Amino acid sequence: MTKYVIRRLIHGLISVAIVVAIVMILIYGLMDRQLIFAKDPTFSKIGNNKKVLYMYDRWEDYGYLHYVPYADYLQKLAESGTIDEDTRSRAVLLGKTQAQDSDLTKEYIEKFTEKYAKEGYTVERLDAVTVGGGKIADGGQPALFAYKDIPLLSRLGNYFSQLVSVDNIHYAKNVEGKRGYSFTWHDPAKGGKKFSPALMGNGTKHRYLLFFDGRFPYMHQNLIKIQLGKSYSVNQGIDVADTMIEPQGGYVKSNITYPSGYREVSADDLHSATYVAGSRKSSRLLRARFTDDYTNTATVKNQKSRMGFSFVNGILSSILAYLIAVPAAILMARKKDKLADKIGTIYIVVIISVPSLAYIFLVRAIGGALGMPTTFDLDKATMAMYVLPIISLALPGIGGIMRWLRRYMIDQMNMDYVKFARSEGLSESEIYRKHILKNASIPIIQGIPGTILAALVGAIITERCYVVPGTGGMLVEALDKHDNSVVVGVVLFYAIISVISYILGDVLMATVDPRISFAEKDR
Amino acid sequence: MNNEFEKYGLSEEELFARIDNRSASSEKITAPRYSYWKSVFRVFFRKKINYFILGLLAVVLLLTYVYPLFVNYDPYANLTEEAMKHLNPSKAIDAMGFSLHSILGTGAQGQSTFDAIWFGSRISVSLALVCAAINMTLGVAVGCLWGFVKKIDMFMIEAYNIIANVPMVLLISVMVMIFSATFWSMVLAMCLTEWLFIAFFIRTQVIIIRDREYNLASKCLGTPVSRILTRNVLPFMTSVIVTYLAAEIPSYISYEVFLSYIGMGLTEDSLGKIIQAAQSAMITPGWEFEFWAPVAVSAIITVVLYVAGQNLGDAADPRTHM
Repeated sequence: MTKYVIRRLIHGLISVAIVVAIVMILIYGLMDRQLIFAKDPTFSKIGNNKKVLYMYDRWEDYGYLHYVPYADYLQKLAESGTIDEDTRSRAVLLGKTQAQDSDLTKEYIEKFTEKYAKEGYTVERLDAVTVGGGKIADGGQPALFAYKDIPLLSRLGNYFSQLVSVDNIHYAKNVEGKRGYSFTWHDPAKGGKKFSPALMGNGTKHRYLLFFDGRFPYMHQNLIKIQLGKSYSVNQGIDVADTMIEPQGGYVKSNITYPSGYREVSADDLHSATYVAGSRKSSRLLRARFTDDYTNTATVKNQKSRMGFSFVNGILSSILAYLIAVPAAILMARKKDKLADKIGTIYIVVIISVPSLAYIFLVRAIGGALGMPTTFDLDKATMAMYVLPIISLALPGIGGIMRWLRRYMIDQMNMDYVKFARSEGLSESEIYRKHILKNASIPIIQGIPGTILAALVGAIITERCYVVPGTGGMLVEALDKHDNSVVVGVVLFYAIISVISYILGDVLMATVDPRISFAEKDR
Repeated sequence: MNNEFEKYGLSEEELFARIDNRSASSEKITAPRYSYWKSVFRVFFRKKINYFILGLLAVVLLLTYVYPLFVNYDPYANLTEEAMKHLNPSKAIDAMGFSLHSILGTGAQGQSTFDAIWFGSRISVSLALVCAAINMTLGVAVGCLWGFVKKIDMFMIEAYNIIANVPMVLLISVMVMIFSATFWSMVLAMCLTEWLFIAFFIRTQVIIIRDREYNLASKCLGTPVSRILTRNVLPFMTSVIVTYLAAEIPSYISYEVFLSYIGMGLTEDSLGKIIQAAQSAMITPGWEFEFWAPVAVSAIITVVLYVAGQNLGDAADPRTHM
């Protein structure tokens, strides 16, 4: 069994990698790059060479290509001490055309061209755009740069090699004190007196590597981080995984004792402190609060993360769907061709055929008329605001489970074991509950993880309709804003969930039904 | 001998003809005449409700395909007349007089909602029919081969597992972005992978009946695979295919509505586009009808298509013909 699961898992991971590759080809290779400027206000305002440079700059930000302007190359040389500041400032001046360059500039341009041409870059020079009288037009300054499309394989390789990062004590550059890990029974972020074990690091990215606090799931770690890709326009600079799991809503302020002993009512979460080189030098406030450069903290907020909202809605709606659908399907099967069966069939037909948009909006309209909240309000969170989204999400699930469970039960009803049980004198309800349902539910049980998955992924309309701040809309939002790395990250996330849910479904099925075995020897 | 026959005035050849032992006629089975399609319709019309559903289907199809031919519809005709915009049915009837154009009120540009819906429905239903036709043909053909030829099964299963993980929304939106959101690019996007799911479904069905005795017998007699597939396997699956098709066509309409709602649908005024455009009207008191009318009509279209297809699928099952 374990062997089988591991094999399936490896298979699944390979297919996930291929899915990511397909998605990368689709969005980086096939999609028109010009599209990202469609809604860009800056793009339409600038012109001439500046526009071209802006385009390449953006394309680098969106992850399409590597882009090196000539000035950056000289800057780097100056920083590494190869040339002095004076040479740099003279070499950076480009002539209006190639012929008008100074000798010094020519020399460095040659070096620049040689270096990047060797690395496979395309070097491009834009001559100055002039208006009458030799004056340079607005944004028409001459430019020189090198660019290279990122090939698919190296993109894929980079992506997967950065996927999981383990924090280590060699992360920070100039750290104060000795690098190393330390373990304490009394967490200093909680005052240092209460019993609360924590693993801390010096030289690591995160100060706290392992700690306990009052939030679910109570034990947290910063040692292993999953990075699905940095967002550019959806949630700038933040990783997709973090966008999904960071709390939302209003700040929760509390009395906080900073490492320096300074006390303040603040929403800072000291457990999330990360290393920012030289931050204490630049800020007086940080000098007052902290004793070292672990100064970048997240804030404590009072609401669930995107994933949290989606999970709560998804799981509760799945539970609701099974609670309603299973008894309903039993009733339909027992009263086959009677009124109950017909009503159930009408429901199933409506759910399957009518666009989901229609009944979700219908639920919203009816719920709204009854006085239920129809939008998620993060400031005034109540239990009632979950009701309508959960009902809307459960409706299709109920239809699907009813349809198949009824079918399986009716198929089982004509089996010999049922006739035997009846002749043994078992009551009808006993036969249905203990024998038919047990056998009919096996394929249904296999679908449980899938149902939860579908509730998670298929929540796009529901979350939009009720303004739920969940993960459902992220893919659409990212596509809309051309945030390519978020698209890849979200797809990877969904693909992993779906692979896992298929495997879990099979394992669950094999656990409840002893006749099913995935071990190869039993033949 | 000859004399004996002569007294009847007939020659021997005229009275008796020699018959060879014909193997073909000995194989002939005398049974009541059975015509598949006749039986299908007999079973289909046995249920009285099917007359009603078929009538409804005819009305829907007439309104979708014939009505637009006879009506001059210009969505922007009333663009400058503020008094014609956002009217509910009773006000529209007051303003325009009672006619088909006014019974569902008017929309944001003063256009008749009824006309807009049926012009939109022509696009949406056509999209669904074209997609269903392409996907079904491709899916059934590939599925039959996939189920029958064991060599390609492993390869196809792997391909299926991979492609099933690529979100449809992503695929469609990328397609739409590459080719712009026209009718045919939408068809391409919806047909790119959908046939694979149908093929997988058909493959499972084929595997179930592939190894039955009569197919084994056919194989032993040297019947080529193509003939087994078209004569032994496909007829057996007619009902399954029709049932699947019945769920498929409404699902494309639903999908089109969904895509339009999230802003990735067609640029033409399809049903989904109309619903999306009326979203803001839905939350404005007094204008809700603008939203609910196209939603209700698309629900009716999909339900009618689905139920008609399901019942036809039931009737297409030879086991119900006895």
